[in-house]
Amino acid sequence: MKLKSPRALMATAMLLAGANAAEAHIVAARLGDFYMGAMHPLTDLQDVVLWTATGMLAGTLGAKGRWLILVFPLGLLVWLPFGSALGAASTQLAGAAMMLAIGMLLAAAAQVPTLLLCALAFAVAMIRGAANAADLRPETDRLLFAAGLACVGYGAITLTMALTAVFKRPNSDSATSWRAIALRALGGWVAAIGLMMASLVLAS
Amino acid sequence: MSLRVPRALTTAIVSFALTQPALAHEQAGVAGGLVSGLLHPITGIDHLIAMVAVGIWGAQLGAPAIWILPITFPLVMAVGGVLGVLHVPLPMPEVMIAVSAVILGGAVAARLRPPFPAAAFIVAIFAIFHGHAHGAELPRAVNALAYGVGFVTATGLLHLFGITIGTLTRWPAGERIIQGLGAGIAGIGCYFLAQGIGAFA
Repeated sequence: MKLKSPRALMATAMLLAGANAAEAHIVAARLGDFYMGAMHPLTDLQDVVLWTATGMLAGTLGAKGRWLILVFPLGLLVWLPFGSALGAASTQLAGAAMMLAIGMLLAAAAQVPTLLLCALAFAVAMIRGAANAADLRPETDRLLFAAGLACVGYGAITLTMALTAVFKRPNSDSATSWRAIALRALGGWVAAIGLMMASLVLAS
Repeated sequence: MSLRVPRALTTAIVSFALTQPALAHEQAGVAGGLVSGLLHPITGIDHLIAMVAVGIWGAQLGAPAIWILPITFPLVMAVGGVLGVLHVPLPMPEVMIAVSAVILGGAVAARLRPPFPAAAFIVAIFAIFHGHAHGAELPRAVNALAYGVGFVTATGLLHLFGITIGTLTRWPAGERIIQGLGAGIAGIGCYFLAQGIGAFA
């Protein structure tokens, strides 16, 4: 790009100087609740860990994981209308139990049947959907929030599955290749976190 | 005046300049919990040297230890963590953590190659003691999940560091360096052991 005049430079400087602050939570704006639904799970570590683990498990299983593209967002929506019907402790315990189960399956490089995989993903999505719904306020537009949540669920699970599948490489069948071990080790970490969190919830 | 600025660079500069810090609502204590969890195994020298020694020993033992170790160790450590969370007392935890550094460092220095089940048993016992120490901190953490993620990640990375060092065993000179490291770890473990049993009091 060639700027032949200082006028263009000044215009650029003025444009930069006049920039307004970007706000992540644009709740007051149109479709704000959509963005709130999309951002909410990304700010909760339990969502991040569980969604990532679920996506990784599906990604290691190859084509079986494709069902999750549909199942996972649906699961997020199922419990949403009931809001905080599940207590915080129940969702935490259920989340920790799911971390333990999914982590163990990942660590063992288990060939999970498609039905079981879908059931696990649906359960995870339902639990986290309920946890996200618990923070809904009366003035929140539930439809927009649900749409945002489902969209981010779809995007996150699809992206994690794809990245895992690419990382693992479909041609490397060996369960002891370094790529497979790296994924299994991460599964061990997730299971360890789940075990400790479950005990913490039960102890408190 | 003539300025040559690549278009992509201009776009990047403008994009960055127009944005402000994202103010998404942060989960309380996540950053603090993560940092304290990450630092807990690293700032305790006795933990640190023992975890690195586990990685080096795994590399020395070769398959299957080198790949079973990073997968199963966190889980066994978590069992110790559960005991810590539940306040189940273990006998002389500080002494046992020091002993783990002495024995694991000694095993590396002496190039001990016991049968895999025996090596796994030794490492598992020590993993429980190390996990107990971390787990006892869990209920006090600002964000327990973040703390757990932090210390499990740090422990895994310390193993990876040990395994990476352990790859030096491919060369004769590297093997000598590793044996020296093992002896050093055992020596530091002896210091902590003496401290643990009150020899310096």
